[in-house]
Amino acid sequence: MQLTRSSEKGDGLTTALLSTGLAVLLVGFYLALNAPPDANQGWLVRILYLHVPMAWLCYLAIFGTLAYSVAYLVRRNPHYDRVAAVSAEIGLLFSALTVLTGALWGRPTWGVYWTWEPRLTTFAILIAVYVGYFIVRSAIEDPELRANASAAIGILGSINVPISYMSVKWWRSLHQTQTIDLTTGKVNMEPSMLLALMVNLLAFTLLYFAFMRLRGQIARYEAQRQEAAHG
Amino acid sequence: MPYTRVFWLAWRDLTLEFRGRAGILSVVFFLAVMLFILGLAFGPNPQDLRKAAPGVFWVALAFAGSLLANRAFGLEVEDGTLDDLLLTSGSREWIYFGKLLFQLLLLLGVGVLLLIITAGLFYLPLTAWPWYLLTLLLGTLGYAAISTFYAGMLARLRGREVLLPLLLFPLVVPVVLSAVRAMGDLATGVPVGEVASWWRLLAVFDVIYVVACGLLFPNILEG
Repeated sequence: MQLTRSSEKGDGLTTALLSTGLAVLLVGFYLALNAPPDANQGWLVRILYLHVPMAWLCYLAIFGTLAYSVAYLVRRNPHYDRVAAVSAEIGLLFSALTVLTGALWGRPTWGVYWTWEPRLTTFAILIAVYVGYFIVRSAIEDPELRANASAAIGILGSINVPISYMSVKWWRSLHQTQTIDLTTGKVNMEPSMLLALMVNLLAFTLLYFAFMRLRGQIARYEAQRQEAAHG
Repeated sequence: MPYTRVFWLAWRDLTLEFRGRAGILSVVFFLAVMLFILGLAFGPNPQDLRKAAPGVFWVALAFAGSLLANRAFGLEVEDGTLDDLLLTSGSREWIYFGKLLFQLLLLLGVGVLLLIITAGLFYLPLTAWPWYLLTLLLGTLGYAAISTFYAGMLARLRGREVLLPLLLFPLVVPVVLSAVRAMGDLATGVPVGEVASWWRLLAVFDVIYVVACGLLFPNILEG
């Protein structure tokens, strides 16, 4: 088995993304810990510096899965299928973390770990879709069929996100329950808080691309190893 | 697209389904038992039962639908006729639309029966029945669009009976939500104009998923 030069050259960019992302993350951490407490939420607001970028990363990952699934169906390049799966993997991990940090924040703020808020519900549906995505991937052995099936699940699942959000939003508004908006308390953000949030958003965006490249590389090696073992 | 083929495929499957009887009968009895159990669970108070009725109806239909969806390609795989279908000339979208029509008609039939039983057991007023049927049509179309698609995708996989609901249910959340709300509003006498927004959401869902699944379907059939 031999590794192509192009894959090694790609490593430079991955390292750069990863190190820049981690450096920016450290700066973001410092800013977040130095940001003033919120008028209503006090120090609890610090969870948001982690929670919001994580949720943002999930949206990036969904979009990544959608884009690479479509690209696979158009171009039939096996690497696109691997990258779509990698993006789904990152999305699944971070959507679980988003729900977890959201629950930790929700308990002291709203008094409950869970509420049928549109974004929460959408994330729960998203997790279910991506769990199904990986179960199907492990159930199908034929690589081409697996790639086609997971591309289909990736595309249908991504389309589902805005529709689910809309339906749950309407469902709640007609239910006349008390409205809890996740954005409460950070509409009039102080500049230092906004800066901390923005830096963290940048850090997580950089880390997403770094993870994508790193994990994509590993997936490529795995595929090469399997090819070498079987043929 | 060959429309006659779509029609004949659906007709053939319906004929087979009714000749076989066992499949459709077991689904109907499963539904009856399920409604009976849920009726016991929600208590004898008519107000509680009436409030639970739309949710009970759609959850029961969703469960029955996942059983029926396995039948969309089950016989084809058992008899080895899926290969014959795949060998027919031209593009493969028509197989999806034929199966979709079959599933839709089957679900509609079961749905109407279920609606009557629910109305009886759960005190659901049926005065606005034409609007119930509209909700049923829009809801079952959205549901069948996805269930038929995944049933085709998983047709030859082991463990498809478990995988299908796992993939299907998260995606049909908007359908179940909107249909339950529309039916609940109709039951409590909300003016039709206000229920219309749910039908619009259902219609948007139907159009998006029928088109997307129709486009993707030729890719996910084995062979």
